[in-house]
Amino acid sequence: MGNLKLTNVTKAFGALTVLHGIDLTIDNGKFVVFVGPSGCGKSTLLRIIAGLEDISAGGIEIGGRDVVQLSPAERKIAMVFQSYALYPHMSVRKNLAFGLENLKFKRSEIETRIGEAARMLAIEPYLDRKPRQLSGGQRQRVAIGRAIVRNPDIFLFDEPLSNLDAALRVQTRAEITRLHRQLRTTMIYVTHDQVEAMTMADEIVVLNAGRIEQVGTPLELFDNPRNLFVAGFLGSPRMNMLKGEVTAVGEAGVTIDAGYGAPLSASIDPAAAKVGQAVLVGIRPAHFAVGDEGLPFVVQYHESLGTETYVYGTLEGRDEQIIVHQTGHFAPRPGDLLRIMPLSGRVHVFDPDSGLALPQSVSQRSDVHEHA
Amino acid sequence: MSTPKATDLGGRALDFVMGVVEAPINGFERLMGRKRMPYLFLAPNLILFGIFTFLPIAIAVGYAFTGGTGLFVSERPFVGFDNFRQLLQCEDYLRPGSCRESLFWTAVWNTLWFVGFNVAATLLVALVTALILNRAMAARGFFRAMFFYPVLLSPVVIGLIWKWFLDRNGLLNAFLQMLGVPPEIFLLDVGWSRFFVVVVSVWFHMGFYTLILLAGLQAIPKDLYEAAAIDAASPRRTLFRITLPLLGPNLLVVLILLMIRSVQIFDEAWVLTNGGGPGTANSFIVQYIYQMAFGSDLRLFGLASAASVLMGLVLLALTLIQLRLGRKMES
Repeated sequence: MGNLKLTNVTKAFGALTVLHGIDLTIDNGKFVVFVGPSGCGKSTLLRIIAGLEDISAGGIEIGGRDVVQLSPAERKIAMVFQSYALYPHMSVRKNLAFGLENLKFKRSEIETRIGEAARMLAIEPYLDRKPRQLSGGQRQRVAIGRAIVRNPDIFLFDEPLSNLDAALRVQTRAEITRLHRQLRTTMIYVTHDQVEAMTMADEIVVLNAGRIEQVGTPLELFDNPRNLFVAGFLGSPRMNMLKGEVTAVGEAGVTIDAGYGAPLSASIDPAAAKVGQAVLVGIRPAHFAVGDEGLPFVVQYHESLGTETYVYGTLEGRDEQIIVHQTGHFAPRPGDLLRIMPLSGRVHVFDPDSGLALPQSVSQRSDVHEHA
Repeated sequence: MSTPKATDLGGRALDFVMGVVEAPINGFERLMGRKRMPYLFLAPNLILFGIFTFLPIAIAVGYAFTGGTGLFVSERPFVGFDNFRQLLQCEDYLRPGSCRESLFWTAVWNTLWFVGFNVAATLLVALVTALILNRAMAARGFFRAMFFYPVLLSPVVIGLIWKWFLDRNGLLNAFLQMLGVPPEIFLLDVGWSRFFVVVVSVWFHMGFYTLILLAGLQAIPKDLYEAAAIDAASPRRTLFRITLPLLGPNLLVVLILLMIRSVQIFDEAWVLTNGGGPGTANSFIVQYIYQMAFGSDLRLFGLASAASVLMGLVLLALTLIQLRLGRKMES
């Protein structure tokens, strides 16, 4: 069974601690993405699960079995490396067979498994070629094939798409997702690309500086980021941030003055906020309505992508850049003054000191999910 | 006043040198044109190579077809292939005694045996050493330096050190006597002396080959080993199925270089065995060449040159094989 349980996993290289007590449970069959900026410890965590790195403290269980003392081969995992790590002197067939031969599988069983994996990944025509005779995308599929033939409890992917060009990346992304639906095996996937995380994951684990910032489904993380880091990391372009102050706390939420005459209302649990409190208000670019009322927004320039438009500018009299997303064609001129109104229920409020989000009011959270 | 740093001094020295050479270089450039300037820079090396490498080769080939004991071409009669005939005239090549130049064929067979053992032993020792030094171990840098150190010594020094070590009253015998083993005169015993010529050669040269193999080992991507670990490959299978195949090109280079340099065995063996002894047990081809030309006032320059030409052809063949195989591996 491919469920995974990490308890207080800690990793230090000498005096440098790169993972600070990671606790995480992954259910069997889930597609989980570890995402975070460079150096956040996501690859190290994956390599620890694989058994390629020792841990300094903590516990790892795979399928209820303590694997801390087990070698990578004994953990029933398979890994797809960023560099693919195909054996350059072996044919594709030998690359796929190598692990099974080491495990003393029968020749006929090896052939069957190679055949199945090759069909699944459409690499049958290349079985007798050497890796260097293949394109990047084909190598990538061979690397995945080498993992599939092992029939592991958990697949581990270490930034497997980073060496592919953009078009191939989108295609391979879809193929890996399809593969997961087909195999129903636990997959853990490391990436720094939030689009991969959002599109592929059942569950995203956001890591930063060796700690888990938040765990949840892509939309949970998008709609209810637990803190400033998650809010800023997921979503592109990133969430707009405004400084403000709570001016009133009511049953339905709080009112915040961000200094533009037009007060903002946010559906925050009234118990979590008090009048006079300094806050950061986060609004995603897509969550503004452009109309007759709202905050004064001075246009600097815009980017038209055809189906959507990003307008860059500042709030009148302020320096922080604000990005507003509009669907379809929209062509304001530099210097135009627009009125932008945050959508109800889409205003995030953070404590600037702790970085934590103020909890949303209960009624509002269900409301958001209906929208989602 | 602050004292100038080393870099300042270096910079000033460089400025000074540049100032001195700038004018003549510019003069040459005006004289020769920019396109021909590379030849100017190549010239010192080419001249040295010409005088000390290419010219001697040409002289040796020429002398191989002359006879007599005269030193200068004018004193040497042309004899055609006589020298080669003399070297190759033999009833049975396996029995040097049946050959006209029995000493030459003794040397040929001694050299072949030496090449066989020396190549196998050096390759094995260098490979094992490289594999060990490639692991994360304490004081790795120290051990690397230590194994390479003998390469820096002069062959004569190597021969003398080991001679003292193996002498009747040498260190090894003193040690054996402490253990109660009767002393052995290693260098006067045919078997032992041949054995130690190989040992000394391995010890002398292994550092160089270890270095080549170590470079090859370090060029193998680490993630291949990680993939192999996940693929449940035992250390043995990892060595034979991953490391050695990927080290192939380096092993080939080492093999060919080793063969070429083993065929050339001379100086350290000459010193160690007092001129190829006991008898002719350690008499090798280069020693034969040396003795024919310069030993005991023989002055048989023609015969020596013919032997060097023959040996040169063998080395040339080995080099061509190396180039051919190297290209094949690259493609």
